Amino acid sequence: MNSAKANILAKLKMQLPAATDAALPAEPAAAPEVRSPAQNVEQFVRLLTDNHAEVMRIKRAEIAASVKTLLQQRDINQLMCGSGWVDALQEIEGEISLNTFYPSIDGNKDTLFNSVPAAITGSRCAIAATGSIVLWPDASEPRSLSLVPPLHIVVVEQSAIYNDFGELIRKQRWSEQLPTNAVLISGPSKTADIQQTLAYGAHGPRELVVLLVE
Amino acid sequence: MNTRANTIATDGSKYEASARQFRGNVARDLANPQLRENFRGAMDYLTDKRRQAFPSEDELETLRRKCQLIKQRCLLKLPELLEQLESKLEQNGIQVHWAETTAEANTIIAELIQRKNGTKVVKGKSMVSEETALNDHLQAQGIECLETDMGEYIVQMAGEHPSHIIMPAIHQNKSQVADLFAHNIPGFDYTTDVDTLIRTGRQALRDKFCHADVGVTGVNFAVAETGTLCLVENEGNGRMVSTVPEMHIAITGIEKVVELLDDVPPLLSLLTRSATGQIISTYFNMITHPRREGEKDGPKEVHLVLLDNGRSQAFADEELRQTLQCIRCGACMNHCPVYTRIGGHAYGTVYPGPIGKIVSPHMLGLEATKDLPTASSLCGACGEVCPVKIPIPKILLRLRKESVKAKGEPLVVKGQGCNRKPLEAGIWKLWSRLNTSPVIYAIAMWLASRGRWLTPAKAGAWTRVRTLPKPARRPLRELVKQREQRREGQ
Repeated sequence: MNSAKANILAKLKMQLPAATDAALPAEPAAAPEVRSPAQNVEQFVRLLTDNHAEVMRIKRAEIAASVKTLLQQRDINQLMCGSGWVDALQEIEGEISLNTFYPSIDGNKDTLFNSVPAAITGSRCAIAATGSIVLWPDASEPRSLSLVPPLHIVVVEQSAIYNDFGELIRKQRWSEQLPTNAVLISGPSKTADIQQTLAYGAHGPRELVVLLVE
Repeated sequence: MNTRANTIATDGSKYEASARQFRGNVARDLANPQLRENFRGAMDYLTDKRRQAFPSEDELETLRRKCQLIKQRCLLKLPELLEQLESKLEQNGIQVHWAETTAEANTIIAELIQRKNGTKVVKGKSMVSEETALNDHLQAQGIECLETDMGEYIVQMAGEHPSHIIMPAIHQNKSQVADLFAHNIPGFDYTTDVDTLIRTGRQALRDKFCHADVGVTGVNFAVAETGTLCLVENEGNGRMVSTVPEMHIAITGIEKVVELLDDVPPLLSLLTRSATGQIISTYFNMITHPRREGEKDGPKEVHLVLLDNGRSQAFADEELRQTLQCIRCGACMNHCPVYTRIGGHAYGTVYPGPIGKIVSPHMLGLEATKDLPTASSLCGACGEVCPVKIPIPKILLRLRKESVKAKGEPLVVKGQGCNRKPLEAGIWKLWSRLNTSPVIYAIAMWLASRGRWLTPAKAGAWTRVRTLPKPARRPLRELVKQREQRREGQ
């Protein structure tokens, strides 16, 4: 044990003769807001829209076509995706050039930062109370996909919207299985650091488009 | 120590000197109308945003109480939780380092960077790294350490320190930022349009993220149960510096550990709503492992530096321990009438405002910070808005008492007794003698009323802005007695 650790712990332990948290009163449980699944969807869409994200409510069969339309509206003709998306997006390959992520980010950072205008990812689930999308990146869908390109398209399943973050953590037993990096995203990157004026696209994506699949 | 006097300290000790200049700083900043306007505008904005984020008083109170108890539970278990956190993190592949002082923390970080032959560091917002003056230290070792939070980027470019813990560049308005960019960014086309200013910063920093060797961040919550480091942010720079470079070093204070993953959602909700009035920040980033086999990005090495820097001293006293409940939301400064007027730089400490006044004495010693606990009207606003119910006004009073303690009393706060003056102590001793003996009191009051013409016109600093009160012509006792006699005579 190094000496800094030993010293810090010794100081802390010396100060707690028999003090226990059992003496503390019970922590009050916050009453969760009750919403029907339909209200959850409505709230999720409203909060994300308020936070400057674009939400498109579509059917599963419309994913590829919607991606094509929204890219063409922005004059973008290439899209980066994880390996899991290649099949689903095959029908637009002719008009949009699809690139899967590199074998590794190492050695490819310059292209990722400078030549990738848009990326698409899936999501694990979503949260109605805060209008948040939960990303659970893995080997097939790297974490920089939702971070570096200026446009991030994310597909969210309407059936995977949870009431709030606390409920989600408990129901999905997160404490037993956290990935390398889990991220909650609630809008495009933003800042109000200059004279409290909100500006979008600080460092992450300037635009967040959510494809909400029924 | 003499040899150090001529060199600028590249650790937290440099703030000792600036905290000592508090009174001068206050006079300087109160006389700056632009600065006062910038702070007034920003504080009005933030207090308004917070109010809107808590539409239900009942819900707010329940949440505050819950989070206060969560933090108190975690503090009562602090030593065990730190050990649990370390072992969980190491199981997950994240290396843990311990530092008692700011200098130790800086040395650990510099060595980690040098081991990778790193020369370019990008940093996400971290107040603990301000505590250690990490940028200065790395620069002295020939390592570039660039701030990437937009506010911090501006402050670093201006050669300043953050004036607010959440919005570091709040003391500057957009024209001042535009001037700064014009002087420092080649090719910048002068404009005060905030979108363009942010785009300029974005462009300059993207290249830095792309080519950095190491990323440094702070931590908002370190979860002992799972070994997870949580980062709260809006810009995406925290994700950039913890995702793109090959090494990520996080630094945090030992009080940031929470026991359970379940503790995180209420704390997160209270933090973002109290800080900026957002129901959640744009990004909530939970880091549990370095890049694993098969994964295509993320840092290959992740380190956590746990810093004490005086926290264990606050921890030792039951009342002062509440200081460590702080989740660094900044609501106390946003609502503080003193902070709003003097701004964040006048304090001379890393943490300004009410929380700065109660935490800095443990980091820098009460001697260097003795003016801070007295610079409060005790209006109580900070205590009322504190999300984790830290009784800041009470702790301010406590620190005032510590600062006038007599020699030889047990050590509670380093530098205690620094404000004790023999004359003042003598006067109070006399006062208490006077007020505990009825006979002496009666004699003294008789003398004071008869000798009221001896009251001086001036009494030092007190009469600079006040008139010295004269004793009454007759003491209350005599007046009452006379009244009784008159009644009896009627």
